[in-house]
Amino acid sequence: MRRSISYVLVLAGAVVMLLPFAAALGNSLKSFAQYIQVPPVWLPDPVQWDNYAEVWRRTPFGLYLANSLLIAVLAVAGNVVTSATVGHALARMRLPGKQALLTMALGTMMLPTVITIVPNFLLFRSLGWLDTLLPLIVPYWLATPIGIFLMRQTFLAIPKDFEEAASLDGANPWQVFWRVHVPLAKPALATLAVFTFTTSWKAVLEPVIYLTSPENYTLPVGVLSLKGQFVGNDQLVTAAAMMSLLPMLVVFVLAQRYFVRGTMSAGLKG
Amino acid sequence: MTVLTRGTERTAAQEQPSARRRNARERAWAVAFASPYLLHLVALTAWPVLASLFFSMTEYDLMSPPRFVGFGNFARLFGDETFWRTLGNTAYFAVLFVPTQTALALLLAIALNQRLRGMALFRAAYFVPVVSSWVVVAYVADAVFNPQTGIANQVLGLAGLPAENWLQDPVLVIPTLAAVAVWKGVGYMMVLFLAGLQAIPEERYEAAKIDGASAWSRFRYVTLPGISGTTFLVLVLTSIETLQSFEQVYVMTDGGPHGASELTVLYLYRQGFQFFQMGYASAVAWVLFVLVLALTLVQFRLQRRWVHYA
Repeated sequence: MRRSISYVLVLAGAVVMLLPFAAALGNSLKSFAQYIQVPPVWLPDPVQWDNYAEVWRRTPFGLYLANSLLIAVLAVAGNVVTSATVGHALARMRLPGKQALLTMALGTMMLPTVITIVPNFLLFRSLGWLDTLLPLIVPYWLATPIGIFLMRQTFLAIPKDFEEAASLDGANPWQVFWRVHVPLAKPALATLAVFTFTTSWKAVLEPVIYLTSPENYTLPVGVLSLKGQFVGNDQLVTAAAMMSLLPMLVVFVLAQRYFVRGTMSAGLKG
Repeated sequence: MTVLTRGTERTAAQEQPSARRRNARERAWAVAFASPYLLHLVALTAWPVLASLFFSMTEYDLMSPPRFVGFGNFARLFGDETFWRTLGNTAYFAVLFVPTQTALALLLAIALNQRLRGMALFRAAYFVPVVSSWVVVAYVADAVFNPQTGIANQVLGLAGLPAENWLQDPVLVIPTLAAVAVWKGVGYMMVLFLAGLQAIPEERYEAAKIDGASAWSRFRYVTLPGISGTTFLVLVLTSIETLQSFEQVYVMTDGGPHGASELTVLYLYRQGFQFFQMGYASAVAWVLFVLVLALTLVQFRLQRRWVHYA
């Protein structure tokens, strides 16, 4: 009885989650006339697959995609490497002021980011980084609090025997980290990677503030800018939006268990 | 949070010189490993907090050097009706959004916390909006809340109710935004609650059953206290995030209609990056910063009354 109530609830919820996507997908396959038709038609007729090709023909979609991918890949690489080294220092190394650093990392997780908007803009401006992709990448190369916590927790759980054996063999701390601990932490690294990818891929605020030339736009700001250019062609902008989700969905489907694991660890650490 | 401090109980004088050298080298390695975050703390934490305090006391248009004005920006802010309205909008949005999302996420987590067939698939369905950018969500939401062609008005029509203007209606815009935000975020929070639920020991439920507790009592006296730690964390983090909400309104309404959905960070963005009043924008940031910190402190204060740590 309770089980069937749960089932109905969860099923209804899933429909509410996915139906709007289906409707938007339908919109992206309509002609403009059908897009604005009242009362609305649910299924596009005929299905205009060409809308998607038209986005590629008439907009710099490929460029936006390339920018988003470049930023995401570099952000992931940077955050995974630096969060791992910092987490390792906090978990397994003789770091002076370890406790203070840990407390500060916790504090910055609770720190309202609104305070950083103006000063970071001025900082990157003084570095000459405005209208480049650097402000969207470099902060990830300085480790993120959530990544540090995740990696610290992971490295704490690895038994000491491994590194002791390696140290006896004359391995230096980098070799212990890179050859012994990192291979054992792969699931956590993958979790951090998908998390960083998602954060970078979804970002709107930072690209809006830092990027001015259309050739530097990422997918979210690029698609947003199409809205003004394609008045009377909203079906094309909807198609572009749907397409911008596709790489993210591919990552999500391939790495689903890491998403769930990452969310859980993000919540449990604190 | 226990931290290993091996070796600190020995004093340096007792150690062999070679051991001391080795310790120094180990420390140097550790500092090198931690250096990215040390740089992070200086450049991306300490600098912004101090710099924004400084700039909040200046007039700075990016063209001429910052001019010190003391508390002038704050005085102006105090009399700025638009600013107060954006704070009111932000609070209203948060009051609608945070409790609704929390309650729904908990309900769904409880429903999903059974061995249901296809559970992984359901969980995935709830996560698709979570991984979507607000730009994607704006077009998905348009398919629902477009006054002419959206699903919502179709449903109202079927029920014999009049159509609404949703995001173009000054009264409905914030509730509609909150509903979309719940739709987007509930899956994430649900997974957090699932983790919390799975950490409650099964024995507690069995003990309660033996004592003849009803399903409601088990929920009230086992489940709720058991996940209160998770609930607290989730509430703190979502409150912090919600009060700084920007992307959703920037993309979906641009603060409209007639400022009815202008949230404080959108106002900050306009002051700073459209009108280039960096000093005034910093003052807005500092006021919001203090408000968010105060709310976080209050939540930490109140946690003693309702959070049970097993």
